[in-house]
Amino acid sequence: MSKLLVVDDEANIRLLYSEELRDEGYAVETAGTIAEAVAKLEQDNFDLAVLDIKLKNESGIELLQKIVKERHDMPVILCSAFSCYKDDFSAWMADSYVVKSGDLTELKEEIKRVLAKKAQRRAAGL
Amino acid sequence: MDISTETDWECCWERDRIAMGDCPNIGEGDEDLLLSRSRRFLEKCCECDNFKRDMIRFRDSGHPLAPVFSILHADYRRRRYQIQSLASFLDTKTLEIRFLHELGSVLQSSVDLDEVLSVALTAITAGKGFGMNRAFLLLVDKQQNVLKGHLAIGPRSAEEAGQTWQEIESGDLDLQGLSRLFQKDKLNAERDKFHDILEQLVVPLEDEQHLLVRALEERKPLLVTDAFRRPDVDIEFVRALGVDSFLVLPLVSRNRRVGVIIADNFITHRTISEQDMQSIETFSFPVAFAIERASLYERVQEEVGKLKQANQRLQEQQEQLVRMEKMALVGRITSSIAHSIRNPLMVIGGFARSILKTTPESDPKRCFLESIVTEARQMEEVLGEILTYSDALYPTCDFWDANQLVEAGLREVQERILSQDYTCRFHPAERLPLVYIDFKQTSYCIRNILLSTIDGLSNGTIDIRTRAEGDRVCIEVLDHSRTLSEDELEALLTPFTEAREMGSGLNMALSRSMLDKQNIPLVVVAPPEGGVTYTIKLPTYKEESS
Repeated sequence: MSKLLVVDDEANIRLLYSEELRDEGYAVETAGTIAEAVAKLEQDNFDLAVLDIKLKNESGIELLQKIVKERHDMPVILCSAFSCYKDDFSAWMADSYVVKSGDLTELKEEIKRVLAKKAQRRAAGL
Repeated sequence: MDISTETDWECCWERDRIAMGDCPNIGEGDEDLLLSRSRRFLEKCCECDNFKRDMIRFRDSGHPLAPVFSILHADYRRRRYQIQSLASFLDTKTLEIRFLHELGSVLQSSVDLDEVLSVALTAITAGKGFGMNRAFLLLVDKQQNVLKGHLAIGPRSAEEAGQTWQEIESGDLDLQGLSRLFQKDKLNAERDKFHDILEQLVVPLEDEQHLLVRALEERKPLLVTDAFRRPDVDIEFVRALGVDSFLVLPLVSRNRRVGVIIADNFITHRTISEQDMQSIETFSFPVAFAIERASLYERVQEEVGKLKQANQRLQEQQEQLVRMEKMALVGRITSSIAHSIRNPLMVIGGFARSILKTTPESDPKRCFLESIVTEARQMEEVLGEILTYSDALYPTCDFWDANQLVEAGLREVQERILSQDYTCRFHPAERLPLVYIDFKQTSYCIRNILLSTIDGLSNGTIDIRTRAEGDRVCIEVLDHSRTLSEDELEALLTPFTEAREMGSGLNMALSRSMLDKQNIPLVVVAPPEGGVTYTIKLPTYKEESS
């Protein structure tokens, strides 16, 4: 079972993601702040992280940079209400970018795709 | 000594009074001289042949006063002649001063170069002026450093001369009137008439030996005679003029070389005198000054024109900036609102979907959940549009094919067009230059224009044309089916003016905003007789502002 970390400052969104992704068969942990997310990342090994970009006064991009630097084998999917971040090159470090929607189909498909890619890389010994 | 009685004298000088007819030199208007012996003597007798014969008789009489009287009489006549000459000279000069005054007044009051030139050349050639037959004006071309034929005036044949002079005589116009007539009716014709000669009158200012350059350097007029035989005169130049005697008048204003006037008597061949030269010389400075001032004024006007254009461009850009600022503000506000709405909307829609998944088809409340999901999705779509509007801040431009751009826009809406039974005809122009645009944004705008044309209608026809226009490529979308009033047209391009459906109220405004940022004008024309034409003019060059 793949373990996912969902980082979003909105409790209801964390709850929605948890419910939906657990239904898809993933083990889901959530965090509301960067500090909380960093703590969970240090404690556990996650297969993938779903990050919101706007985290109250913090930036999900900062956390993305930290993950890429320290845990470069863990893929990250950015999830934001702003489609403009798609063209922001600092967001290109992420493995995927999804615009937030009540319909989580796209997010779920991206999680599957990114995890499959990760598995392929592992199999190839990369 | 035998001095006879009064009956012996032929002249009436010794009589106190005479009757009309006694003196052959007294006629009507001179009646007062009949009774005044002294005045009659001084004014009439001294020049009278009868008196001269009386003087001969007096001299021959051997009277001792006769030689003295002869001396006095001769001296009187000489002085009288001198006075008459002086008076005549004075009259001439008075006329000249009046003419120069008139000329000066016109020259001083005019800043129109054509008017100044007309006055100057008319003054040289008019009978009421300096009375020369022809005049050529050469002006200094600073860029090419040459003296160049600019304008000429005068007849080219005796026949033309007779006709022109007759016209002038019958018109009885003063100098100003003549020059105005010339400027109005003949200026361009004279320029054309003398085109062949003027073309040959080009003298490099470096050629210091050329008599025109010499006259300019020395700032003195030259009276050139026997020009065909003079070694210091360029024979080709004289051949172009076709006369061997002419006057060269340098035009110098405050140390600046303005040009040269050449005047001749091509038709009458009247000898040009030193007096002619001196008279014309007095007129050279005001003419030079007026030409320089008019030229400067013309340049100032040109610069003012350029400044006005620059100012207008600046104003337009300022207005555009204000408009963009307003749009950007609208964008920021809508983005902020949309973001605030999106998260709760996502939660509502997301949980509704979750519950819906586990709600059986038979559950009577399932339709409520479906409604929540549908409405939430629709609101998300609107929010997406609003966020795209606020995103469109910095276009990324490159060179693209305009026809491909249209085709890309068409591909995106093809399904909608077909579903609404619309016919869309694309007429691409061949060999179009590439356009410098943000492909994604511009293609999105074309898509929006096409969607706007088919919105709410069916069975219509759209024609799309591309064409080159100056340094731009135009894309024209002609919607044959729709008729828009002025208010509807205004509303079409203003965000949030259509309350019925929020999304379609934003599309065209968003397109215009996106195009504005790339300095691409979007013109929408909706004539009252029907049809709507959308034209966007794409640049074929890199614009600094884009």
